[in-house]
Amino acid sequence: MATANLTRDFDEILPVVVADRRHFHEHPELAFEEYETAAYVAERLRELGVEEIKTGVGGTGVTGLIRGGRGDGKVVMLRADMDALPILEENAVDYKSQVDGKMHACGHDAHTAMLLGVARILMQHKGDFKGTVKVLFQPAEEVPPGGAQAMIKDGALENPKVDAAIGLHVAADMPAGQIAWKVGPGSAGSDRFRVVIQGRGGHAARPQAAVDPVVIAAQAILALQTLVARETDPMDAAVVSTTAVLAGDAFNVIPDSAEIRGTVRTISTTAREHMAKRLPEIFTGIAQTMGGSAEVTYIQGYPSLQNDPAVVDFVRNAAIELTGEDNVIEGKLGLGGEDFSYFSLEVPSCFFNCGTRNEERDIVWGHHHPRFDVEEEGFVNGMAVMATAAMDYLNAE
Amino acid sequence: MALNPTITTLIDEIEPGLIADRRHLHQHPELAFQEYETAAFVRQRLEQLGIEDIRTHVGKTGVTGVIRGTASGTGGNVLLRADMDALPIHEETPVEFASRKPGVMHACGHDAHTAILLSAARVLADSRDRFAGTVTLCFQPAEEVPPGGGIGMINDGALEGVDAVFALHMAAAMPTGTVAIAPGPVMAGGDLFRITFQGKGGHAASPEESSDPVVAAAATIASFQSVVSRNIDPMDRAVLTVGSFNAGEAFNVIPDTAVIAGTYRYFSEDTGKRIEQRLTEIATATAHGLGCEAKVEIIRGYFPTVNDDAMAELARLALVDALGERAVHLAEPVMGGEDFSHMLRAKPGAYFVVGCYTEVDGVNYGHHHPKFDIDEDSLAVGVKSLVSIALSWLDHNKEV
Repeated sequence: MATANLTRDFDEILPVVVADRRHFHEHPELAFEEYETAAYVAERLRELGVEEIKTGVGGTGVTGLIRGGRGDGKVVMLRADMDALPILEENAVDYKSQVDGKMHACGHDAHTAMLLGVARILMQHKGDFKGTVKVLFQPAEEVPPGGAQAMIKDGALENPKVDAAIGLHVAADMPAGQIAWKVGPGSAGSDRFRVVIQGRGGHAARPQAAVDPVVIAAQAILALQTLVARETDPMDAAVVSTTAVLAGDAFNVIPDSAEIRGTVRTISTTAREHMAKRLPEIFTGIAQTMGGSAEVTYIQGYPSLQNDPAVVDFVRNAAIELTGEDNVIEGKLGLGGEDFSYFSLEVPSCFFNCGTRNEERDIVWGHHHPRFDVEEEGFVNGMAVMATAAMDYLNAE
Repeated sequence: MALNPTITTLIDEIEPGLIADRRHLHQHPELAFQEYETAAFVRQRLEQLGIEDIRTHVGKTGVTGVIRGTASGTGGNVLLRADMDALPIHEETPVEFASRKPGVMHACGHDAHTAILLSAARVLADSRDRFAGTVTLCFQPAEEVPPGGGIGMINDGALEGVDAVFALHMAAAMPTGTVAIAPGPVMAGGDLFRITFQGKGGHAASPEESSDPVVAAAATIASFQSVVSRNIDPMDRAVLTVGSFNAGEAFNVIPDTAVIAGTYRYFSEDTGKRIEQRLTEIATATAHGLGCEAKVEIIRGYFPTVNDDAMAELARLALVDALGERAVHLAEPVMGGEDFSHMLRAKPGAYFVVGCYTEVDGVNYGHHHPKFDIDEDSLAVGVKSLVSIALSWLDHNKEV
């Protein structure tokens, strides 16, 4: 049961949200450089009367509090990311990026503007909920290790202590206005590795004087297959892919070294930690056994995002009530990384998608494409669901 | 029986010309099948010496000629071969006669081989009355680039009427004044292979929709290790090396293909065929078992260089005659390849090496090194060796 039907409110303020979004779109800033964006956000929050506005949180992050008028209660955090990408925009729109080589090509401009819109409406509806909404604008979602971790380290989930978190992402592959939810893992943990196997090069006809890094690489790639087959819980899921091998050039020369690149995808923290420990062990162990050595660079990406069933329920119910059963779908496990996952590992969370595709207007290009754009009409449902789910969560019990 | 003192004296006399020829050739190196000036130089020298039946453009840039003995009786026909081509290497030696062609260098000693054979021709042409039968001189192109210049010369008739073949190679690691020869296989046969594993690429996180050629290539390379250890007679000698393994580039994309390439070396042709058969079977079956397909390409190299036992012994005794017992060593087979293998498959003969140890900046650089050089005292050793072997063979094969 939704606290209030906020759709009409968001319809009314959509022009303001669109104007904010276009402002951000014209002035994109890269990860951890969101100075003007953060200043704009903070100014807007002040204007709206949001309390305890903090800037410089985890670099360029901004937080603020909206206290409900019905007394003390829980704290729900609503999150938007602010960073743009190093992409040269190819759209001909009149709100095109004014910075060459930088572009909001993933929709973070929309996220930031939408959360400002949510804050505006929640301020207007303070009397309808108890507890506190914390709005959080984070830097650097695009570049691991990301801005979420930095904000958590700076205490963004404390004072007051956050009990639940909700975030959203616009989706180029979903029609404008559609909402997608998912229980459990929402994205895979995505780590990378680069291994340089150091052997000792030599003439192909004198293997005894060399240490062959090609054979070590081959043995190690085969041994890696056991990480999933023999060392991962059959009920869990994991992928280890060696996607590139670079060794030698000639027919008759044993190369000095071999480079192997690949990625590890995991769902559970257990599997993720296991892979991070065992993959380097396999490379260094096999290399050592065969007289060489291996230098393993394990690049931690974002962990798997975990959607809490209870928080998801608030989002799903709000979505169905506000937009109708037909507009709400169960999402699939995404392969891309998303650093909202760090919040989701700290507090029960829901990260949902909001469609912004419009084929009639050729708004069909995927995220990170130079022609990516969003159908702004789709914002209303996303904002209404986020605000309603937050209020319902706070008013429950 | 030592080499005739008159001949030894003659060789000593012509040594300055021998060194001058080698330096001229060293200054003007030419790559495989481009030995135009070298061949013209050789032809001019042979004409000066009154060599008969000079043929040029044999097997493209090869040159042949014959020296007919005038001693009584009839004899056989013994061929002496030198190779003429240089390498695509930029010379870095400090010698005054360094290559005048940037990026091209006689870094393997073929300049010495050609100069030695020219001087041997001079000595033998001056000694016609000492033998019955024929010496065929063979200057061949393109030893360095398989399939080599030998095949073309054979196809152009260079071995017609020839009964036996001999050749030498400079050896940087052996002291000047020493030579080495052995019966049986002395240089390896070797072929190249390239295997393309065709899989089905895809996203690194969706392996079930892909056929991963990286894993197929890795499994193949691992299984290749059993070829030498399990499929080859332990008393035989062979090596199989994967010299390159390349696939993909990105961290998160399973590539469509993986390519491995390498070489295998062997001392008997049967062993070579066995390795080729096994590596083809392993790659094909392993790829198939992992949902990929393997395309195996074999690029033929040289056959094993196998000395005829009797010819090697004849040559060894002739070398002892020319240089003394202590100068002649038993050659160890080496895994390198040699184009003379083609002629040795067609005719009985032998191949031997001539020490030319020297140092440049305090280091004894090996063949194919930009600072490779030879001790020029070894040139006369080479001439004595070839002359002695030719005369000895002719002496053993004359009919009075």
